[in-house]
Amino acid sequence: MPEINHKAFLFDATRCIDCRACMVACSVENKIAMDKTRIWVAGIGLKGEFPHLVRASMVYHCMHCNEPDCLSACPVGAYTKRPDGPVIYNATKCIGCRYCMNACPFGVPHFDWDKGLLEGAFIDKCTMCPQRIDKGLEPACVATCPTDALVFGERADLGKEAHARLQAHPGRYVDHVYGEFENGGTAYLILSHVPFAELGLPDVGTRPVKDVSEEVMGFTIPFALGWGALLTGTAVAVHLVNQRKAAVAAEKAEKVEQPEQAIK
Amino acid sequence: MSNMISRRDFLKVGGAAVGVLVLGEFIPPRVAEAAHLSGTLDATNSGYIPSMCEMCVWRCGLLAKVENGRVVKLEGNPEHPHSNGNLCPRGQSGLMNTYDPDRVLTPLIRVGKRGSGFFRKASWEEALDLVAKKMLDIKQKYGPEAMIFSTTHCLSQVQFESLLNAFGSPNYGTQRSLCFNAMIVANLVTYGMQEPDRKYDDLKYIILTGRNLMEAISTSETSALSKAIDRGAKVVTLDPRFTKTAAKSSEWLPIRPGTDLAFHLAMLNVIVGEGLYNRQFISNNTSGFEKLPAAVAQYTPAWAAEITGIPAETIQRIAREFAAAAPYAMAHNGWRTSNFVNSFQTERAITILNALAGNWGTAMFPSAGEESGVLGVVPQPPYPRVTAQRLDGVPWKYPFVPLDIGVFQELREAALSGDPYQAHGWFISRQNPAMSLPDRGRTLQVFGKMDFIATIDILMNDTAWFSDVVLPEASYLERYDPLNIVGNKAFLRQPVIEPQGEGRSTLWIYKQLGQRLGLGDYFQYTDEEDYIKQQLAPLGVSLDQVRQKGYVQLPGEAAEFPELKWDTPSGKIELFSTTLDKGGFAALPQWEEPPAPKPGQYYLLTGKVAQYTQMGTQNNLLLHKYADEPRLWMNAQTAKSQGLATNDEVEVVSTAGKIHIKLLATQAIRPDCVYLTPGFGHLSKGLTTAYGVGASDSDLHVTYTDPISGGQALSQTFVSVSKI
Repeated sequence: MPEINHKAFLFDATRCIDCRACMVACSVENKIAMDKTRIWVAGIGLKGEFPHLVRASMVYHCMHCNEPDCLSACPVGAYTKRPDGPVIYNATKCIGCRYCMNACPFGVPHFDWDKGLLEGAFIDKCTMCPQRIDKGLEPACVATCPTDALVFGERADLGKEAHARLQAHPGRYVDHVYGEFENGGTAYLILSHVPFAELGLPDVGTRPVKDVSEEVMGFTIPFALGWGALLTGTAVAVHLVNQRKAAVAAEKAEKVEQPEQAIK
Repeated sequence: MSNMISRRDFLKVGGAAVGVLVLGEFIPPRVAEAAHLSGTLDATNSGYIPSMCEMCVWRCGLLAKVENGRVVKLEGNPEHPHSNGNLCPRGQSGLMNTYDPDRVLTPLIRVGKRGSGFFRKASWEEALDLVAKKMLDIKQKYGPEAMIFSTTHCLSQVQFESLLNAFGSPNYGTQRSLCFNAMIVANLVTYGMQEPDRKYDDLKYIILTGRNLMEAISTSETSALSKAIDRGAKVVTLDPRFTKTAAKSSEWLPIRPGTDLAFHLAMLNVIVGEGLYNRQFISNNTSGFEKLPAAVAQYTPAWAAEITGIPAETIQRIAREFAAAAPYAMAHNGWRTSNFVNSFQTERAITILNALAGNWGTAMFPSAGEESGVLGVVPQPPYPRVTAQRLDGVPWKYPFVPLDIGVFQELREAALSGDPYQAHGWFISRQNPAMSLPDRGRTLQVFGKMDFIATIDILMNDTAWFSDVVLPEASYLERYDPLNIVGNKAFLRQPVIEPQGEGRSTLWIYKQLGQRLGLGDYFQYTDEEDYIKQQLAPLGVSLDQVRQKGYVQLPGEAAEFPELKWDTPSGKIELFSTTLDKGGFAALPQWEEPPAPKPGQYYLLTGKVAQYTQMGTQNNLLLHKYADEPRLWMNAQTAKSQGLATNDEVEVVSTAGKIHIKLLATQAIRPDCVYLTPGFGHLSKGLTTAYGVGASDSDLHVTYTDPISGGQALSQTFVSVSKI
């Protein structure tokens, strides 16, 4: 994993005010349809009982893993990991198999459930705004953040910055930089004042799922490719599954709109 | 951009864009032409144009990314001190206000009954002629004072005031008495200025009395507070709700509504009683200190604990910590501070607290203001003398309230009662009193009494819905405004795209109207560019140069530490206010018991969320997409005991009216309070995104005016809640 010119995000949950400027900025910059989003608010929102309360929210988007599972699961090479960080998805290569969705331990890639497989539906996810970073600009979400909860830079520098914050403020954070080693390391480093699970982050271990899956997939990929034609034929059956998943997606969308409902 | 807007809008605007492209071969559009001259757009009409946001009153600098005559993205301008390169969610979504499918694209004249929503399109010529004729009819029949003029804080307010003053009406409504009169008047009588500037860089201790900066975002100030917190500054937040600011604070005190005054009186009691004040600052800068100890002696922490619900030792500790951190401490005097009958006294106590701690020159500075002697002034003849009394009681009933601030809700009351005389017409610019004034039913009754109502806005807002003529304004991305001074720069709002439809700037509209009213001499500029050129004349800078950078550097250096001077009768910070004393009011802060809800009732609280500005942004599709649905917050335990649960449809009743809304049972609010996001419950069906969403706080708010500051007590409304 090249550490030079490898860009990353650093998110600090203690600074996030859940204003959602990042979400609007992403929507506009990337021309996201009104009913879709590439960033969503995750986490528990509010915990505790009046008046002993804590808020915690996180802007959740692609982790841009150093060893992306989506990439290794994709049978047609629709994903690439740029040496400078972004994990990019190429819709023109995508066959809509959605292996990437199952592979991603963070549940990031989203499918266009409105359209279904036979109507040119595609995966969508955060791209790290390559159109901006290639011009020396920060990704849209970072550039607008009024409280610097999101910052952008060299992964190595941000790692140092994250550890410096942990050292400078003992007791303020959970003593860990999420993403430094998780899933083989990600380009989204996270600091939090609540357990990471309460930000909606899974415990994925440090070994990339990719390593595990490639042992198995070593023979399944040629097998799957060989049966590609047959798989396409099963699209109708897949559609039935889509309907159920659409219901799940709708439920998720509801959560995006109304994080207060997560209050326990 | 295209897939963000509705299909209907895409087709319409897409068609327009094609027209521009074809035409552009021969005659470049005016905005693009100007942008080419200043070098902000390239040959393909693409690039970044600097301008200023208007999604709230903070006025961040922005860079509008334009592609082929469409604005596709807004960025914070790193060179503007209000944005420092950032924009809040409202700022980011600003282009969706401009591309709102509900934009009013031509002047409209009402054809159906008021409020029926039936209008016909009209030319500017016809609409302006009609407005002028109606205004002149009213002037002739009843005198100029029978016309009410109202507008909201904006860059063309000076020209609006020209129209008002030249017409000769004293009746001027602004939004300010619904917001911060208590703070402004307290600052005026104590410090001799409306509001100090604040600096967070070195602060160690900040007390926020209801100032919810993490949700009521003022980009640079929110950012500065966030940095102070990150640095380790202690922040104490007094708020009955666990706001997002409370969540970021070191200490949250869920104080009983209406008792902030008791808390701050006890702060004064400890600081005076224990001698924790800054002797040198007090002797150099204040007057009346000797009268203070006796005045606050009775307000012990134990006394305040009873009233506020905050333990005495907590208040005592905070007073000591605050004094120890001074002068790098600040008790923020808040913004929307008109909450209770005693809000003015609360503000006075806070101003005195900062003076005792000597926080001036470290945390607070005399405001540099937005005035400058260096810009050119567009010439104007003197205004006619106005002899009629103001309907809002300023100054004959409210002597301390500045004329340009006024008491809007009392203006409405007088228009309803006809006392001391009846108003007959209402000219409204970019304001929505049908939503902003308390007790909406009464505002609608006033609409019914008016012979004529005209409204200028970019959308069919709720007041426009009840108007006889609606004049479409160009949005802030489509027009020029007069220059705005921040520090030692004058910033420019300039059009980044051509207006949608026939939208025009208010500079143009006021001038056109002025000419038709026979008041053309008060608008001595040929067009918007000429106005700005006249402002720039003494500087020897061309408009093209200003367009390119978005600002012009003014001569002279901005003083880093403005001189401490106090424009009060004594020339000192008046701890004992001679102004209040002369007016027959308490010259030192004193406890006033606010009314409280009866058993079974709750305090009705309102307060901003980060995605909305008052009642003006609810129709923005991008904000609508990412904001939470407005629901009535109720404490989870209280809700349970009342048999209520989240998403239950409830009826909320006050003496002013009732609403129906969904409930949110949450831990984040005191058991004796409910909270409603303001600005919803729109009446205009011309707002297709916002219509039918949430309910209106204005339907519930009871009108109550503070006799000193004229502020509307917005939290002094009590409601009952029941399941439908």
